[in-house]
Amino acid sequence: MRECLSIHIGQAGIQIGDACWELYCLEHGIQPDGVVLNSDQLESANLEHMDTSFNTFFCETRAGKHVPRALFMDLEPAVIDGIRAGRHRSLFHPEQLVSGKEDAANNYARGRYSVGSEIIDLVLERIRKLAEQCSGLQGFLIFRSFGGGTGSGLTSLLMEQLSIEYSRKTKLEFSVYPAPRISTAVVEPYNSVLTTHSTLEHADCTFMVDNEAIYDICHHKLGVERPSYASINRLIGQAVSCITASLRFEGPLNVDLIEFQTNLVPYPRIHFPMTTFAPIISADNAYREELSVSDITAACFDFSNQLVKCDPRLGKYMACCLLYRGDVVPKDVNAAIAAMKSRNSVQFVDWCPTGFKVGINNQPPTVMPGGDLAKVQRAVCMLSNTTAVVEAWARLDHKFDLMYAKRAFLHWYIREGMEEGEFSEAREDLAALEKDYEEMGQSF
Amino acid sequence: MNDTLTSDVIGRRVEVNGEHATVRFSGIVPPVAGLWLGVEWDNPERGKHDGSHEGTVYFKCRHPTGGSFIRPNKVNFGVDFLTAVKNRYVLEDGPEEDGKEQIVIIGNKPVETIGFDSIIKQQSENKLRFPSGSPSRTGTFPALKVLVLNRTGITWAEVLRCASGWPVLEELYLESNDLFISERPADVLQTVKLLDLSSNQLIDENQLFLIAYLPRLEQLILSDIGISTIHFPDAGTGHKTAMFPSLQYLVVNDNQISQWSFINELDKLPSLQALSCIRNPLTEGSKEAQTTRQLIIARIGQLKTLNKCEILPEERRGAELDYRKAFGNEWKKAGGHQDPDKNRPHEQFLEAHPRYQLLCLKYGAPEDGELKLHQPFLLKNQLLTLKIKYPNQVDQKVLEKQLPDSMTIQKVKGLLARLLKVPVSELLLSYESPKMPGREIELENDQQSLQFYSVESGDCLLVRW
Repeated sequence: MRECLSIHIGQAGIQIGDACWELYCLEHGIQPDGVVLNSDQLESANLEHMDTSFNTFFCETRAGKHVPRALFMDLEPAVIDGIRAGRHRSLFHPEQLVSGKEDAANNYARGRYSVGSEIIDLVLERIRKLAEQCSGLQGFLIFRSFGGGTGSGLTSLLMEQLSIEYSRKTKLEFSVYPAPRISTAVVEPYNSVLTTHSTLEHADCTFMVDNEAIYDICHHKLGVERPSYASINRLIGQAVSCITASLRFEGPLNVDLIEFQTNLVPYPRIHFPMTTFAPIISADNAYREELSVSDITAACFDFSNQLVKCDPRLGKYMACCLLYRGDVVPKDVNAAIAAMKSRNSVQFVDWCPTGFKVGINNQPPTVMPGGDLAKVQRAVCMLSNTTAVVEAWARLDHKFDLMYAKRAFLHWYIREGMEEGEFSEAREDLAALEKDYEEMGQSF
Repeated sequence: MNDTLTSDVIGRRVEVNGEHATVRFSGIVPPVAGLWLGVEWDNPERGKHDGSHEGTVYFKCRHPTGGSFIRPNKVNFGVDFLTAVKNRYVLEDGPEEDGKEQIVIIGNKPVETIGFDSIIKQQSENKLRFPSGSPSRTGTFPALKVLVLNRTGITWAEVLRCASGWPVLEELYLESNDLFISERPADVLQTVKLLDLSSNQLIDENQLFLIAYLPRLEQLILSDIGISTIHFPDAGTGHKTAMFPSLQYLVVNDNQISQWSFINELDKLPSLQALSCIRNPLTEGSKEAQTTRQLIIARIGQLKTLNKCEILPEERRGAELDYRKAFGNEWKKAGGHQDPDKNRPHEQFLEAHPRYQLLCLKYGAPEDGELKLHQPFLLKNQLLTLKIKYPNQVDQKVLEKQLPDSMTIQKVKGLLARLLKVPVSELLLSYESPKMPGREIELENDQQSLQFYSVESGDCLLVRW
């Protein structure tokens, strides 16, 4: 019951997925070939004997192997071949790794219309198979980036189809938002705006992370001189693990997928919470600081721990979801939240007085051996729906406008079958989204 | 917990309004009646005096304002481990829920250890007061692998005394204890793989030698201890030391390292594979971070990871080649030479650049051409100073002229024709170079430049007609 399907789209989605599943396997004591460690090995790895809660994410075959309930897809084979040949190649069934031949070339139109449409039927069929193995599918977790061609185009196509076939299932997204100052593609703004417009009514909640914020965290807090994508993805993996911990372990205060939606999304369109993770401590500085529950809760409201670059002091909080894991007792949590509420810098909108949703899970955070993070006794991931996120959209829209005013790079989209009308429609939708956010922040 | 003030209160750790202190004295302090506790604060500026009052010395403090007298009822002795655990978890289902429990009797206090085989005792977090000076610790922790004693005020002697009760200890964290390493750990701490001595400002390099022979020590964290130099006396330049035989990862962030000699010494460590060295005067400052990184890579040969970034083979190759080129001129001045027989750079150079000879063996000695300093692109640097001789005429003087190397032979002939009043078509030019005595090279193609014929400054043009 309560199974969740993870779908990883495009290079970003797949590489984040790689880090996430590696972490899940470590947390549940599953070896790279899918076999669970026996009880002696579990003890030496410091894990309790697992109840079967991880069946939400893993499917047990008759041979005793545990196969992740995941689908990896990309329009070109290179990245997926990395998984097929990598450390976890025997963890996944070959049908879970779907790759095409010709990639989307950073082009939303190719991912959505020309190249994507050829692969979508195969993908839906595989999803159907995975869904049939579930007794009570809760919903989908979709990992992708906004800026790439596959991540933007193929995802919007997929979301539309999933809404048709699985209308009552939750769809949560983990999206890599284009960083403000570092960009990996010139046409990122086009792809991001187009995909946000198409996915807006199909996604229930979109958790955003951006590379620049995480580069800074790795550089300043973890002492990594030149962070690679591996370090970044590991950090994102920790945040995702925190968010999904309630679904995979029994805990005193569990938070389901639907509970996220109910508590974080005040209006259907306002579903872009910001992710923050604490504590982020370098392995060299282990055990240095006092890391009580109030310390890590306070750290969540610190700009430097955010996984997205946007200043929450410029906006108001509409809802906050604090997901604790590790050695945490409700008494401390209540005290910490009370302390937060009394701070001037944390401002809530007038129409949302309580504001906090809490989840507690007793499984402490696991770290990857050889990684940069220190092992800590407790951690928290905060998902906050704040009006300050409009800054991120405004930045994106501005860049879009600059390019669109000159119709630059547009012909690449037109020749794949798109129309200019779609661009202006998408831009208007985002402008309306910005206005919606501003209205939220206004007082009565 | 009700405490009666017996003499064993001396040495107890206490807390007053958030500030921590150690009890040093208990008794009467005339002329005021009643019992007083003399405490030495952790924060040396918190107190009023150094333990003496109106001339009488009651206890000693490390700082002149480190001590105070306090009434016993104002002081919080904290709770013992068991009570702290109960207080924390009593609302939850208590520790009985967890799988295994091992009750270990220490002295006469039962201490519940919760968890599995690896136990982490966070003494600083539970506000435990470490009972300093406990005489006999008869109990042992046969499975204790990780021990955190940060900010507990423990001394090195106490650590060694208790260490006999930690036979399989692998990780020991002793941050911020004002530690002074006074003796070598003889039979204890031999299984320790990770030692964290950060923020102990009293530690210097000589004390480090006392822990240099721990056989399994793989990770050593020495951030923020104020170290600036290190020298392994048992190894000469270019040799490996016998100290720290298994050390693979060294962290020296936030120190006072400003000399490259420190980095050179690290090359002597036999097993060093990873280093973190940020926020030191050497690495901050105007020089590019990139250059500093390259220099560190070149100076420590076996390093595989620097500042948590893997060093790829191409990066190492590039760094070593650049290093060899950058110091090539210095090497030559110090007596270095491409010919191995003549290659005898003096001691000072070898001390400052211990790996230089090795790099020359690996990549070959730097060529002179590589070492030529690039002159800035000014016109005067492009001019060749040439002598002009007339072998067929005896009485003509030898001229010296400065000509740009891009000048064509035709133009040179034109210049000479005007000078000598000889028609251009009759002139024949060649040149000879002091580098190749006896050889004359003809400059026959009028369209080519002096540079084409490799004419260099100091050469001699020969004009015949």
